[in-house]
Parts: sequence; structure tokens; C-alpha cells
Amino acid sequence: MPAVSEDVEVIGALDANFAWTGRALCTDAQLAGDVAALNLLRGAAGGVHRRTNGGWRLFRDPLGINKLFWVQDDRGRITVASRPKRLVERGWPFETIRSLPRGTVVDLQNGYIDEHSIIPGQWSVTDPAGGETTLKESGRVIRDALDGYLAALSQAHPTSSVFVCLSGGLDSSGIAALAHQHFPELVAVSFDMARPDGRGSEDRLTARRLAGDLGMPLLEATVSEDELFEALDVVLVEGIDWRDFNVHAALVNAALARTIDRVALRPAGTTPLVLTGDLANEFLVDYQPERYRDATYYALPRLSGPALRSALVRGLDTCHREIGVFAAWGLSAVQPYAAATDTYLALPAAFLARDDRKERLCREVLGDLLPEYIFTRPKARAQVGGPEVAGGVLAACVDRGFDSAWLWDRFVQLHGIADPHVLHRFIRGGCYRSGIPGRHGTRS
Amino acid sequence: MIERDVPDRIESFIRTAFDVNSMDVIFTRKVDLFEAGYIDSMGFAELIEFLQDQFAVALPDSVLLSDDFLNIDGMTRIISSLTRDGYAS
Repeated sequence: MPAVSEDVEVIGALDANFAWTGRALCTDAQLAGDVAALNLLRGAAGGVHRRTNGGWRLFRDPLGINKLFWVQDDRGRITVASRPKRLVERGWPFETIRSLPRGTVVDLQNGYIDEHSIIPGQWSVTDPAGGETTLKESGRVIRDALDGYLAALSQAHPTSSVFVCLSGGLDSSGIAALAHQHFPELVAVSFDMARPDGRGSEDRLTARRLAGDLGMPLLEATVSEDELFEALDVVLVEGIDWRDFNVHAALVNAALARTIDRVALRPAGTTPLVLTGDLANEFLVDYQPERYRDATYYALPRLSGPALRSALVRGLDTCHREIGVFAAWGLSAVQPYAAATDTYLALPAAFLARDDRKERLCREVLGDLLPEYIFTRPKARAQVGGPEVAGGVLAACVDRGFDSAWLWDRFVQLHGIADPHVLHRFIRGGCYRSGIPGRHGTRS
Repeated sequence: MIERDVPDRIESFIRTAFDVNSMDVIFTRKVDLFEAGYIDSMGFAELIEFLQDQFAVALPDSVLLSDDFLNIDGMTRIISSLTRDGYAS
């Protein structure tokens, strides 16, 4: 195993950092500085920094929101990129590429490797102590975290165009309502698929109503099936995943991103921000399998609530269906719920077992900001399109033959993978194949 | 825990949870469970939970993608190593 050299090359742009200390957004100096300070790091972060002592630091946030892939040649030189495809285009075989593990800080200096985990120990407690009496307090803490995070974002990005993805569900509606208080010019964006009768989906109708009630403009991203699938290759490469659920969600985001890209103003030196309601579904285990044409899609592991939450949260390491896809259109996706991760993960098993867990918690967090119809409408998933599955992205993909096998093959093709079985090792158990430079995997 | 009991319990769980036919001659303790299609990503999450629960170990991300974690023999080595090294949860 060669020692690491002092050369680190970064190919292409890395994902934007929106890291949060609980009080302020992290600066580059903090991210490159004392590693103890990074134990507080929440939100999306990842990067490569040249340190003042001459060494290098590679790091990823504890949830693994931002991605960082690396290869190392036989002289110890490290090459880093935010997508495997960038490394493949440089001639690296796909099977040599590894991810930096989520929640890892690696300091390289004079051939030495220092590795630290910044994943909080309490996150691994599957059934934290607590109970119903703490729900109000949890709601208050989450609200404070969201408010603080959004306030800091608005201060840091005073001239950026800001959008919010609005499906009309609880998660996105909550972010829209709260963010509107910090970004007065906020524009909501709603996805829908064009239908022959011109009728909008339940999501679209609710988004229109809520945007009107909140007094914010609504940008409508309505796409035909052909338009939807134009983004398929981009989604597979930038979303770094071939699994159907994530591809379907990424296709929705691609349609939103294209629509935003057409209208977004870009004052000099700014990147438009796109706020999303992602992560809350993982934190609250709010996923369900879907049925279409006698087949089940989006199956979940047969696990109890806390164990399933752990699996879903671990799975955030793999899939870039939001940040990666929006970045392909020059947009920075921001997931505010990440600022409240600790409070969500401290919710006890008994609470996760409740059918009304999301509604109850959202009432505590956002009850004063959202109208009643948002709390009482049936759950709809963006990929599915509403209570009626037909007409959604899932149905369109299945009907066009873009099934799991097709997506797997296309991912293989796009990444020039010689042996497709390597994908069994690239994503497993919700994690990308990972390692520490200098310790795992080199080009032989 | 009796160490030689580990592979038996892992095999038994996999056979039961993932409907492995008792006459299946391909299924061995050395077969790559993922490449051979016995376990998919959903099943993997269930397997992790089983191992952590049954053997009272915490499985760090780093071991989940190790080459040892592809088959029952490898998983046995990992579980034995973690229990010896104090990774018990």
C-alpha cells in the first residue's frame, strides 16, 4: 500500500456546503480547522481543503448528504470528485472508485493519515429515551433549528434567487411556510405530469392553493413523458444511483430544476438556492410500498420502526437524487430539516409506531403557519403523483420499460463498467463502497 | 456465545428470511449472497439488523462493504472479530 503523497487533485465542482454548527453556517476556515469543532457539524458538507499547516483535509458530513469519491494511484496521489463519472472520464476504472465514508474527516500530512469520525454517538441509539411528554419540546427545538438555519441562509445569500419545492405535503409545505418568513421573494415550484384532460394532480391543486394562501408565486413544472425522460441519463450520473425509487424521485427533481433554470435570475457571484422538504421522511420513517399493474414497488425492509429509521438514515449516504440533480442545472439544493437531525433521531420508538406521527409532530413545529387542509390531506408521493398511481412517474417508467433491470444496465453503460456485478459492491446496505485514502484501494 | 454457532445462526436466518430452498446446491457458506441474488438491498438491511441484534454487535459502515461481508463465512469472521475487539453494543 503506497503512502499518500501531498498531491490531491479535485476534478470538477464539489457539492456546495451548507453546513451548520447549531448556531451558524460553517465557514471554510472552520471546515479546515480544529477537527473537534466538526463534531457539531450538521447539514450538507463535504470537500477537500488545503490546510494552513500544508496538509490536506478531506471530509463528509455525518448524514452523507454531500458526496466525495476518490481514487489513488500507485504513487499515492489522490484524485477526488463529487461524482464517480468524473473519475471514469479521467480514465479510472469504476471498480477502483471509493467514497469517503460519511461523517469522516481525514487529515493528510507528510505521508501520515489521521482519520476521525464525526458521527454523533447518540445517533446509533435506536430507541432513545423519551415519550409523548417530550413532543411539544421536540417540536419547539425543531422549529428553532429550522428558523435559525433559514435565518443564517438568508443572511449568507442576500441576493440569491431562492425557490422552494412545494408538493403540498407536510414536509415541503412546512419548509415553504417557514422559509417565506426569511425569504420574502421566495418562489414555490410544483411538479406535475401533463395529462390529456389538462387536469392537475392532487399535489398540484394543493400547491396552488397553499401558495396562494401564503402569498407566494407558484412556478409550475408540468412535463410530458418525453420531457420527463430527457433527463434520464443526467439523473443516473448526477444522482449516482440506478434504483427505481431514487431514479423516479430524481426525475421529478430534474423537471423542477429545468423549470427553475429557465427563470432563475443569477446576480453576479450567486447560485440560485432550492429549498426542499427532504429528510423528514427518513427521520419519521414515512415511506410506503406502492402497487402498480399487480407489482409492488418501493418495497421496504421488514424492520421495526427504529431499525427501519436507522436503515433509511444510513441510506442517505447513497443517492444524490436532490443535490446532485439540481446541481446539474447550476442550482444549489438545501435541505433545512438536516439542521434538526439530532432532535428527529431522538424521537422514541413508541412515537415512531404511531400512524399520525408526522401530523402530530408537524402540528407542534408548524401548526401556527399551515392551514388545516395541509394536515388532513392524504399522503401523496411526488413520484406517484397522487392517490391515483397511473399518471405518475412510476407508472410512466414502468409503461415505457424503464424498469429496474433497464436502469441498472443504463447505469453500467454510462459509467463504462466492464463487469456489471461490481454494482453489488458499489452500493450495499445503504452505503457506497468506501475507504480511506492510503488505507484502502489503489490502482494496481 | 459459542463461536462455532455463529455461521449456523446466520445461515438459518438467511435460509428462512429469504426463502432459500433446502435443495439449492448453489447456496453455500462461501457463495456471494448478493451476486447470486439471495439478498437484495432490502434484505441486506434486515440482515444487518439481525446480526446486530443476535450477536449484540454494532456494525460500523466500514465493515458493511468489506469483501468479507459477501458470504456467511466472511460474516462469521467479522462477527467473531467484533465481539473479540469489544464492538459489542
